[in-house]
Order: sequence, then structure tokens, then C-alpha cells
Amino acid sequence: MDSFLPVQVSWTPQTAASGSDFYPYTNNAGTVAGISGGDFCVMAADTRQSFGVGYLINTRYQPKMFKLSNGSVLGTSGFYADGLTLIKRINQRLEWYKHAHDKEMSTPALAQLLSITLYSKRFFPYYARVLLGGLDLEGHGVVYGYDSIGSYEPCLARATGSGGSLIQPFLDNQIYRKTPLGILQAPHTLDQVKAVMRDSFTSATERDIQTGDYLELFIITAQGVDVEKYDLRKD
Amino acid sequence: MSGKNCVAIASDKRFGVKYLTISMEFPKMFQATDKTFIGISGLATDVQTLMERFRFKINMYRMNEERDFEPITLANMVSSTLYERRFSPYFVEPIVAGLDKNNNPYINGMDLIGCSTTACDFAATGTPEDQLYGTCEALWEPNLEPEELFETISQTIMSATNRDCVSGWGAVVHVITPERVITRTLKTRMD
Amino acid sequence: MVSRVDVPKGGFNFDNYQRNLILQEKGFSLPKPTKTGTTIVGTKFKNGVVLGADTRATGDTTVMDKNCFKIHYLAPNIYGCGAGTAADTDKITKMVASQLELHRLATGRESRVATALTALTQFLFRYQGHLGAALVLGGVDVDGPHLFSVSPHGSTDKLPYLCQGSGSLAAISIFESQWRENMERDEAIELVKEAIKAGIFNDMGSGSSVDVAVIEKGRAEVCRGMEVPYPTIQKVDSYKFKPGTTAILSESFRNFVTITEGDAMDIS
Repeated sequence: MDSFLPVQVSWTPQTAASGSDFYPYTNNAGTVAGISGGDFCVMAADTRQSFGVGYLINTRYQPKMFKLSNGSVLGTSGFYADGLTLIKRINQRLEWYKHAHDKEMSTPALAQLLSITLYSKRFFPYYARVLLGGLDLEGHGVVYGYDSIGSYEPCLARATGSGGSLIQPFLDNQIYRKTPLGILQAPHTLDQVKAVMRDSFTSATERDIQTGDYLELFIITAQGVDVEKYDLRKD
Repeated sequence: MSGKNCVAIASDKRFGVKYLTISMEFPKMFQATDKTFIGISGLATDVQTLMERFRFKINMYRMNEERDFEPITLANMVSSTLYERRFSPYFVEPIVAGLDKNNNPYINGMDLIGCSTTACDFAATGTPEDQLYGTCEALWEPNLEPEELFETISQTIMSATNRDCVSGWGAVVHVITPERVITRTLKTRMD
Repeated sequence: MVSRVDVPKGGFNFDNYQRNLILQEKGFSLPKPTKTGTTIVGTKFKNGVVLGADTRATGDTTVMDKNCFKIHYLAPNIYGCGAGTAADTDKITKMVASQLELHRLATGRESRVATALTALTQFLFRYQGHLGAALVLGGVDVDGPHLFSVSPHGSTDKLPYLCQGSGSLAAISIFESQWRENMERDEAIELVKEAIKAGIFNDMGSGSSVDVAVIEKGRAEVCRGMEVPYPTIQKVDSYKFKPGTTAILSESFRNFVTITEGDAMDIS
């Protein structure tokens, strides 16, 4: 999963000294996950920001998820500066959309917008693993998973970032309940989904050194977006 | 993965070259003693070579000492066999799992040069290591009974291998209890 | 297949070396060895040495071992903390420990820290830094307390307090601000604990709990898990599965037979 890493194409920095090994990306890591339910969507991310190489923690509390103006939530992990720039661009476009059409952009439309924004930087990509959560036109929860250059798909449950590979199989197991017998679990309640989300992050924090400190849950329902904060390991 | 007076060890059954699957019946675990199994993941040729070397050493020990390897001794033997090739290692990551003479669970995971990690809960190696650790961490809990342990380890290995494109194609689980060894092959996705 | 009894010749075996080079050239990536991105510290006090270590072992960014033991036994009066490639620190200290044991049996004297130091450095120097072992060596012998650090290339340092591993910067900051000469035993232990905790929290490569070893004249005490600075967060839910959840294709049992002996043979 998430196999696409931005490959550095031959790119000569205009300002850096010639012959330097300037590399424009850093991985600030962190994990983002989202689960969609019948009439809600739960997005979660840890708040640790670390420095790419070495074992340094930049800060213990730097939120990775952003509530966008239309009520959906965008989570980013990877290169934080790229994530921030992406959010800025998306929010700007949402603003324009609102003035042009006199309505908020729907989450599926935003998903498409996000995809083309990422693809517009196909050969110098945003080094950001993003996840978009919200409610669709019928009010059902929806989560969109992306790679760094805009390939996307709606999914029931998705995890990305440094702890993504640890969490994703657990979400598959608990949310999709794919068994060879074909038993699909009964629809999940919000409380169940929150519990799964919290436990998957506690577990990922045990094994992934770049995930930790605090867990933020964004719960998106028709009433709006609720934010909850929990403790994670800090070592 | 350890339980209450029992341990379980599981592996998938795929053997392939890059993305080409060649066999779906490739044994990666073998019974070292009555209550101890060794599972080896990694380069197939080394897996087979080491299985033979270990089998040889286990048999020699049995004949010389007139007793079976204790799991901890076995793990030390595996570890030193790997460290002997510190600078030209076998590309393998073994796991030793078993019950010792007092029927206490013993689990040991190793890296390719024999750094052994004794765990009281679980150990995981192979290409989907991250996925395995994530699921183990979330699903495992202490003091599982043999049948519960079987379900937990099976769900773990199936969920994890489904998210790794070079693992899967069937799975085998051994549950070792003081009374018996239960071996089951799982019905999994075959893609 | 092995068809004859191999008598171990000692030393490393390089049989796979050429093969592995070819494999790597062809793009086969070799599994990563476990490293201990560590915080290890040591300090002298009034009449002894305190060593400390965290308990996390990592492979890249994954925690391989949450409770590994980095304070290695070398002799009853000498211990060494290891940082770097986990297998190397493990095996080298084991090898030197056995050399010291034999030396003690041959001479009938307590091992000296300098002997352990020489054995370690000569061994490491022979391998020109390819054995990735960095150690903090501490002990008390006839000459009193000693504390040394050993680098992978075989160079040594003799200092009253020192740190090594990825968390050494965090740990040394505690020592530099709070260390004093001729501390009491308890003060020294507290300081070591604080230094390790600084590493645990501020360095991602270090974590879990604090191990401490205190060595004094005629007495060595190793305390596993002396402090667990952050509690494990309990899970909200339980994820046990009902028996029968997993579909199986085949099943076999191998029952153990318990042999009950009859009356013991009369051998009087």
C-alpha cells in the first residue's frame, strides 16, 4: 500500500549551490486514519511531528487534520510543509467555489478537486499522504484515500502514514470483516468505531516510533464536526 | 504468539520469485522437538539450507545428550548459527516457539545475524512484518486459551498477509499445548 | 545438506559473502538487522559505578523489542551497556564474559575492568569498525571503580560520567547540568534514571523502561525495569474471536503420550 513515493526526478535547484545534495523533502511522518459509518465519519491522527532523519521529535502537538470550510476533514502526513500548502490551496479553491456558486462544495466534489490538485504536481509532487473524510450528498459517511499524486478511491476504512501499514490490516479485520466465509459484520455504531480507532492508534504507537503523543479524533456528523483528544505514549 | 500454557506459530504457504507465485505449499516451519517449532522466513534457499542444518544439529544434540533441546537452548543454537556468519549472513529471520519443560510458553524472534528477542507476547518476521506487528498488537491479549489463541493468530496472519502482495496463498497454524499439537490449514484468499 | 560433523574452527564464516554480493547486485534487498537506537549512560559515584539503559530495540522505525536488556554481564563485578547493532553487542559481551570467566578460573583472581576493556577493544579493532558495537563499560576491582566507553573502532574514553547511543545528547544534558563529584549511591541512581528518561522521551530511538546496574566493592545489583516512566495505555475494547470464526481446510492432532513409570527399580 501507498507504494508511490515521490521519486526525485532530475531537478536542478536554481538557488542552491551547484553540486549540493539539496533534497527538497523531509518526512515529518505521523499516522492518519479514517473510518466511515452509516451517518458519520471518524477521522483520526496522532499529533507527533518528527524530523525526517535521526530520531528527533520536533513537537508533540501539531495537529495534522484540518476541518475545511465545507465541513469535511482533511488529514495529512508525510512532509508537513507540503501538507500545509495543500490545505491552503484547497481552502482557497473552496472559498472561490462558494462565491461563484453560492453553496458549499460537496465532499465528493472536493475529493475530485483534491485529486486534480495533487496530479497538477505530477513531477514534483506534494510529499503528503492525505485522507479526506466527510459526508456525501445523501449524508452517509465517506473516506477517500489517496496516493501522493492524486490516485484516489472511496473506502470504508483507510490508514496512511508511518503507522498506516500497522493499522490498515486491523481496520480490514474489524471494519470490513472480510472472512472466507463471507460474514460481514453488522453496521458499526459510532461508539464501536471510536473504540476501534483509539485501539488501533494505541497499538500502532507501541510499535511505530514516529507515531505518538496525542490522538485527535474528528467526528463528522450532520450536526457538525466534534473534536476529541486522547493520550498516546510519549516515548 | 503465546497464550495460557500454550503457544501458536503460523506462517503463510507462498513461495515465489518477485511477484510470480511458484508454489502454494512451501513449508516454512518445522517441528524441532515435541513441543518446539522453528519458523523461518526469508530467502527460500537459505530457509531450506538452515532447516537441514538445524535438523542435523538437533539430532546430534539428541544423540549426544540423550535429551531434547529446551526451547531457550534451541534459540541460542539458532542465534549462534546465524551470528557465525555475521559478515555473510543467511537472508532469514527465524522464530522459535514452544513450551519449555514446565510447559511455560517461550517465544523468540531473531534478525538475520542472530539478535534474539525473547517476547512474552508475540514475535513476527517476514515481508509483512509491520502489518503483523500492528495486528498482533491490536488483537492479542494475555492468557488466551488454545482455541482462542488459534482464532487470534489466524485472524492476525490472514489480515496481515492480505495487505502484503507477496504473502498469503494459504496458511498453516500450529497450536502447541501440554497435551497435543494441533495443526490446521486455513482457508484464505488465494490472490 | 550437511553430511559430516563440522568441528567449529572459531572465527566468522564468510562462505556466503560472494553470493550475497551477487544477490544484492541483482536487487535482492537483505533484511535489516535489529539496532538498538539507544540511550545508555554510566556514572561514577563515591564508591562505585552506576550504569543505566533504556529497553527499546528498533529495526528502522519499527520497535522490534519493547523490553530488551542492554546491560550485559561481563563478570560478577563488571557490566557493560551496549548500543548499536544488537547482535554485535550481545555476542561480543558474551564472548568477553566467557574469556574473563576462564581467566578467573586460571588465575584465581577477581577480573579487572582493564582486562575486560582490553579484550573488547582488541576484538573490535581487529574488525575495523565493522562490528557495530558501542559500549559503556563499568566495574569495580582492586583499583576501585572504573568507567569506560568503547567505540565500534576500538577506541576508548575514560570519564567520570558518559552517555552513548542516539539518545546520548538528551542524556548528557542531564549529566552536564546536575552531575557532581562524590555523589551518594541514591543520588547517582536518581541522576542515571533522569538521564535515561530524558533519552526515552526526547529520542524516538529510545523508549519503554529504565534498567539500572549498581556496582560497588563486593556487590553488584542489576535492577530490571527500575522505572517505567510511561504506563502502557489500556485498550478500550477486547478483540477476542468466537471459536469457529476462521475457516479451516484441514486439521490434525498430535497427542503426547504420558509414560507413567511402574515401581522404581530396586537398586539397593
